[in-house]
Amino acid sequence: MNSQVLQVFDELLRSPRRVAERSRAGGDLRPLFVASLGALVLGAGVFGATLATSRGGLQLLYSGLKLPLAMVGTMLLVVPAFHAIAAGLGRPLSFSGMIGLTLAAAGRGALVLIALSPLIWLSFDRGLSYHPGVLLAAACYALAGVAALDLVLKGVGFDARGLVIVSLFAGVLLATGGQTAWMLRPFLGRPSAPSVPFFRPRESSFWDAVQQSSLSSFGVYRVTRALSSAEGRSPNPPNPPGPRLENSDESR
Amino acid sequence: MEQSLPTIVSASQPSLGARLTSPDTQGATQELARLGAGLGLAALYGLALGARSGGMALVQHALGASAGLAAVGVLGMPALFVLLALVDAPVSPGAMLSVGARSLASAGFVLAGLAPSAALLAVTIESPDAAAFVTRAGLTLAGSIGLYQLTSSVRAMLEELPSEQRLKCNVLLFGFSLFAIMLAARVWYTLPILKGAA
Repeated sequence: MNSQVLQVFDELLRSPRRVAERSRAGGDLRPLFVASLGALVLGAGVFGATLATSRGGLQLLYSGLKLPLAMVGTMLLVVPAFHAIAAGLGRPLSFSGMIGLTLAAAGRGALVLIALSPLIWLSFDRGLSYHPGVLLAAACYALAGVAALDLVLKGVGFDARGLVIVSLFAGVLLATGGQTAWMLRPFLGRPSAPSVPFFRPRESSFWDAVQQSSLSSFGVYRVTRALSSAEGRSPNPPNPPGPRLENSDESR
Repeated sequence: MEQSLPTIVSASQPSLGARLTSPDTQGATQELARLGAGLGLAALYGLALGARSGGMALVQHALGASAGLAAVGVLGMPALFVLLALVDAPVSPGAMLSVGARSLASAGFVLAGLAPSAALLAVTIESPDAAAFVTRAGLTLAGSIGLYQLTSSVRAMLEELPSEQRLKCNVLLFGFSLFAIMLAARVWYTLPILKGAA
């Protein structure tokens, strides 16, 4: 069993096609499940802790725990959708094979995150600020996602129908994974915060946050309605009096 | 679009998805059971949406999500059969029942697959507009897959026809597709979450 698990680890990186075939073939998928889950927890944990080096302290532990939780939770939520989309578009897969394929893809993505962790650490160490850091992390997720979807594509078939299935699945994955991670934030931690919360209160949504961080990284700060009301100002003043830094109250 | 890739269903027992979307025509009872299963699965998506408000909204959304598909089955499929028969297409009531059941079951199965994600998003997204957008996206995805199943199955039945007759059938099929989209949208837009319910 142990040697099989190690072999799958190797195949996740070198031979995604063989992993996809293993998932499709069915049979004993336990080594695949164990290796993929191990890679997922390890990779996401390392990357989460690395993200937290921007804040340090207890945030390292929290992020190292929460990012694997977010990824495993997302996998649980999206596998039924993947199964249904593939079946609806004429590529019915066995449910266990589908779980194996999805888990293997997530594990592969997590291994890519491990490889990108030193870059993240170095960037924060060299003084990368908060909002560009969020975007750099998002770019790392995107890269890991491409590696993961490559494996999924090999599983459902590399043709037009397979591309449609994987594209639709990617849309569901992005929406679900983004919101799951948003609920479990912060992962980087607010630089100015005196203490580190395990969870932030529920507010807004993942997409609002992406939009806000993108604008903020280019120096465009939106005046929130709540803040404006509190200060007795219009939410959209004709001539904004310079950048507002209320976005620094957010944490990702 | 077809390829030699083996389908990944284990040899012993096909999965629920494979059975619901199988192109094999079965008896009327089995087809009606497949249709019922599809509508029941669609209700799971409605339940997930209803979790945003809870209470009676659970029932409202469950019924509404299924009703959109049921409306297409009840109002659209007989009309399509009659129109295709008028141009002498080789369709039978049994074959149309099978096509309709498979298409609606596919859409229902996709909605059920999306239900866990929809529940998370519906419950945790604060903005009513964003929640409505997510709901619309799920319904559009499932409806598109159902419609794809339906049109591709009907077109497969028309392969032997002369080109002029096949063209007439394709025009009818296109018109039916527009009607089905409008009808499903009309029913689904009664869902409270699409009307901005918090």
